[in-house]
Amino acid sequence: MTILQVQSLIAGYEPGLSIVRGASIHAAEAEIVVILGPNGAGKSSLIKAIAGLVPITGGQVLLDGRDITTVPAHLKIRQGLAFVPQTENIFPLMTVEENLRVSGGILPRAEVGPRIEEIYQTFPDLARQRALMAGSLSGGQRQMLAVARALIVRPRVLMLDEPSAGLSPKLVEQVFARLTEIRRSGLTIVLVEQNARAALAIGDRAYVLVEGHEAHEGPAATLWNDPVIAELYLGQRRAS
Amino acid sequence: MSLQFLLNGLVNGSMIGLGAIGITLTYSILRFSNFAHGDFMAWGAYAALAVVGVLGGSTPLKPLSFGWPLMTALVVAMALTALLALVLDWLLFARLRARGQSIIVVMASFGASMALRNLLEFVFTSRPAYYSRAIQIAMPLGLGIKITADQIALLLLTVVLVTGMHLFVQRSQRGREMRAYSQNPALARVIGIDVDAVVRATWIIGAALACASGVMVGTLVQLRPLMGLDLLLPIFAAAILGGIGSIPGAVLGGLVIGLSEAAAVQVIGAEWRAAVAFVILMAVLLIRPMGLFGVAER
Repeated sequence: MTILQVQSLIAGYEPGLSIVRGASIHAAEAEIVVILGPNGAGKSSLIKAIAGLVPITGGQVLLDGRDITTVPAHLKIRQGLAFVPQTENIFPLMTVEENLRVSGGILPRAEVGPRIEEIYQTFPDLARQRALMAGSLSGGQRQMLAVARALIVRPRVLMLDEPSAGLSPKLVEQVFARLTEIRRSGLTIVLVEQNARAALAIGDRAYVLVEGHEAHEGPAATLWNDPVIAELYLGQRRAS
Repeated sequence: MSLQFLLNGLVNGSMIGLGAIGITLTYSILRFSNFAHGDFMAWGAYAALAVVGVLGGSTPLKPLSFGWPLMTALVVAMALTALLALVLDWLLFARLRARGQSIIVVMASFGASMALRNLLEFVFTSRPAYYSRAIQIAMPLGLGIKITADQIALLLLTVVLVTGMHLFVQRSQRGREMRAYSQNPALARVIGIDVDAVVRATWIIGAALACASGVMVGTLVQLRPLMGLDLLLPIFAAAILGGIGSIPGAVLGGLVIGLSEAAAVQVIGAEWRAAVAFVILMAVLLIRPMGLFGVAER
């Protein structure tokens, strides 16, 4: 069942200067959808526009059939759409627990505490660091906190903008393994990535975005095994 | 040398610190220097005077120089000053903020400041006014320091307000949201924080504390339409010394400025008092721009 549907989206920071130019994507329940593409293709702008952070001038965003195109950013999370930005995705001058607590603000007050404990069971490292300032965490721990922060409100769709950015290969493996685990709970994940190898390894389907719209779409394995796409758009030749 | 300046500086610093909280909140959350903040102090003080006038005089609660009317008026005036700040934001600042150029908002706050000041002078005249003309007998504390009952009451009020404010910002969900928004507005929106509610809370708290500070000045000194302008430099210096965004920093900054001004009066003469805040402000900007508790911009 399709949860997120984006139709012919046009978006950009300045009027008349669209970065996203007619992109259409969709994601089904419990699916991991990867969005790849060369630098400047509009990948980050696409999910920021879906999240309400880049003005949309055309097209539609449907979440579970409801039109959320013009819903303000702060209300989209209430509709079940969570977003983890690439950088500055935590509040560094707040503790780990405060990051979770402030993000759980849209839950009924009585649910926040128990939900934080559930999150700590999923992310045991965070439980040990709950009193630390988030700004003192390592890059991998920050990404885990950013994901945990987004999950606290039980979203239906989780969008992540390059969660592997700045992480060592080992940490990338850990973050992506955790995303695979999280998907098992039925969560839909939309992943924008430069690290095509790691993203396609966990993805079900993928889009290759070129000049603001999708140029290719298909099962992740198919795109990864297509030598033309890999060389032209993913910036690499397959290692083997 | 008399140590009375320590007590005087502490009391003066409390008033500056309360004013500086509003400045630091406005700057860190709304991202502009509000030069009309001093006039919120003056408007708050005069609003309390008007409410006292409506409630009528009563016997002071000895040994204080004031009674229940001023205490009631303080609460009402805090609400009215908060309302004034919200109206000003709705009429002026919010529209200019939406254009995304903070310098325009800063210049607008200059204009608002002048308008508010002149309006106050038009309504209440420029003659000094007083909540009470009762004479206070100071009690000796030792070491040559004396304190009046009003000073004790207002120091206690400062402690209550600052503690309450600190607990609100640290423990309440709205307080966490205010801190989150000041650190990263875009992320705050993404996690569902209602930005409008955060902005309203910032104005309400800042203006209410400015009013409390203004009423303190009016109680201990006198009310004048220019009282807010006179306090503007010290409260900015205190906010910057404490570190923009830090409430404990603003209070500590206020105390340092207050004590420094009082020491300057004692040591080098009253005519240098106004220069002290300026010197401290310049020194902080040159040596440690992030202030005592601030965090360097990344």
